[in-house]
Amino acid sequence: MLPGPSVHDVVVLDRTELARGVILLGFYAPELAAVTSPGQFVMAIPPGGERAATALAIYEAQGERASLLFFVCGARTRELAELRPGDKLSLTGPLGNGFTLESARDVAIVAGGVGIASVLLPAQRLAERGARVRLFYGARNSELLVDRDRFASAGCELCCATDDGSFGHHGFITELLAQTDDKPDLILACGPSPMLRATALVAAELGVRAQLALEETFACGVGGCWGCVVPLDRASVQAPKFPKTGSGDYVHARVCKEGPVFWAHELRW
Amino acid sequence: MVSKVDLSVRIGKLELPYPTLMASGCYGSGEEFEAFADLSKIGAVVLKSVTREPRLGNPMPRLVSTPAGMLNAIGLQNPGIDWYLEHEVAKFAKRPCAVVGSVAAFSVDDYAYVTERLAARAEIAAIELNISCPNVGSEGETFACDPDLTGKVVRAVRAVTDKTLIVKLSPNVTDIAAIAAEAERAGADALAVINTLRGMSIDVHAWKPRLGNLTGGLSGPAIRPVAVLAVYEAARAVSIPIVGQGGIENATDALEFFLAGASAIAIGTANFTDPRIPERIVDELGAYLAARGLQSLRDIVGKANAGFGTPFQYEGDAG
Repeated sequence: MLPGPSVHDVVVLDRTELARGVILLGFYAPELAAVTSPGQFVMAIPPGGERAATALAIYEAQGERASLLFFVCGARTRELAELRPGDKLSLTGPLGNGFTLESARDVAIVAGGVGIASVLLPAQRLAERGARVRLFYGARNSELLVDRDRFASAGCELCCATDDGSFGHHGFITELLAQTDDKPDLILACGPSPMLRATALVAAELGVRAQLALEETFACGVGGCWGCVVPLDRASVQAPKFPKTGSGDYVHARVCKEGPVFWAHELRW
Repeated sequence: MVSKVDLSVRIGKLELPYPTLMASGCYGSGEEFEAFADLSKIGAVVLKSVTREPRLGNPMPRLVSTPAGMLNAIGLQNPGIDWYLEHEVAKFAKRPCAVVGSVAAFSVDDYAYVTERLAARAEIAAIELNISCPNVGSEGETFACDPDLTGKVVRAVRAVTDKTLIVKLSPNVTDIAAIAAEAERAGADALAVINTLRGMSIDVHAWKPRLGNLTGGLSGPAIRPVAVLAVYEAARAVSIPIVGQGGIENATDALEFFLAGASAIAIGTANFTDPRIPERIVDELGAYLAARGLQSLRDIVGKANAGFGTPFQYEGDAG
């Protein structure tokens, strides 16, 4: 049988607090690592079993190890942050449609805050095959610009911005992207919705196609509940082939199933 | 040992090897969960409701996490019956479990129209009548909140199909027993008890409701005691089987529903915690019955008042 998504019982190998409240959890998960594509995610089944599973981007996937990078922001991520090496966890995945790297030679990756968790894999894959990769990385402050070295050692050129000016450009990361004279041939982005919308605008002005990894609240994470939809041009290749509904020429596509990565020009938001 | 226990159930003409249905709207068409759950170890998938016309559904946000549960307001997003019959239904033949169609509508005529067309398909083993969706304006629950309207719609649908008809009732009523009895009189083969409870959550920073639809339906463990009581009351009013549902997460929860009078159960929100829960429930139910020397799940249905010989039986309050 071809390997595909499934429920993986994994063991925590390592736990690093990259910054206050920013956790990197590494797992022994060879099967998951083998089938993961850049931009995919897992549903982490809560160890206590009392809450819905948590959707988290797959940060690293190499050899026998996969990892998750997340900010502690509620009861579920707090529970995951308490895991220690040797602890067991079940991960459903990999899920969703990730980035389409195509044959891009010069790629700008825009990441905001915890959005960094979705973009290491595409950055590595692109750099490995000789593409130029620029990482436009923004966060609230310098401390939250986590794991920059890993991107630098993967061969990325870094442009950073912080809200408080403690590192790099004082302002939005999309302002740096807009100022570039050196036009990339593909933009990938993951971060808060305002940043994604700004990225889409900048991409349109530059005349560069952009793929956005959306964040949304999921219940099932596998396309079964229709709780995480986004309006998408009906003609979009990612749109489920649904009949025209009402007056608008758009459909509600599932972020977890058709996404989480969508072409910016196909979103009707 | 476990395999000797008979967990099969009969719901109208529907014979299922396991008493576990996947609740409508929580499990897609089953295909979405196939990589993560063994569908040959569940009784049936109840499909997401289909309506006469395509529906775009409610604006986002459609989900809110709440204490011990969640609110949802999807709004019956679906492609409409024409598209559904042409593009979707043939795929259901591949499922290793029974597939129950779910029908929603806003008039008696539309309930009958959609049911007649859907039930005519061999891939559909039975029909669940969703007369209790709380998320499509005031019309959604109208039928399930009024015994006369419940009777009217069930009679109309009964006239167009011989397939097993499961009527899904609302908990947002004063007397569920009266509505259950009317559904039975009108020809229902079984009842699904309960749909979600109406609820609201408000963002105190933004001063507005968290759901795009403003109100939603509450599900999960938070509603379990409400559901158990509804099953208990409905079971005393009817002799047709009841599919109990509302916050079931494990075999112990499921047993409450069987003892209250449910012949089968449905699992919804728990699939969002762990897709392996339905299979685990079946295994644990078998083990529970075997440990007590019982041959069949049917032996415990509705036995909440029978008492089971334990050495620590509660004596009750004096007087």
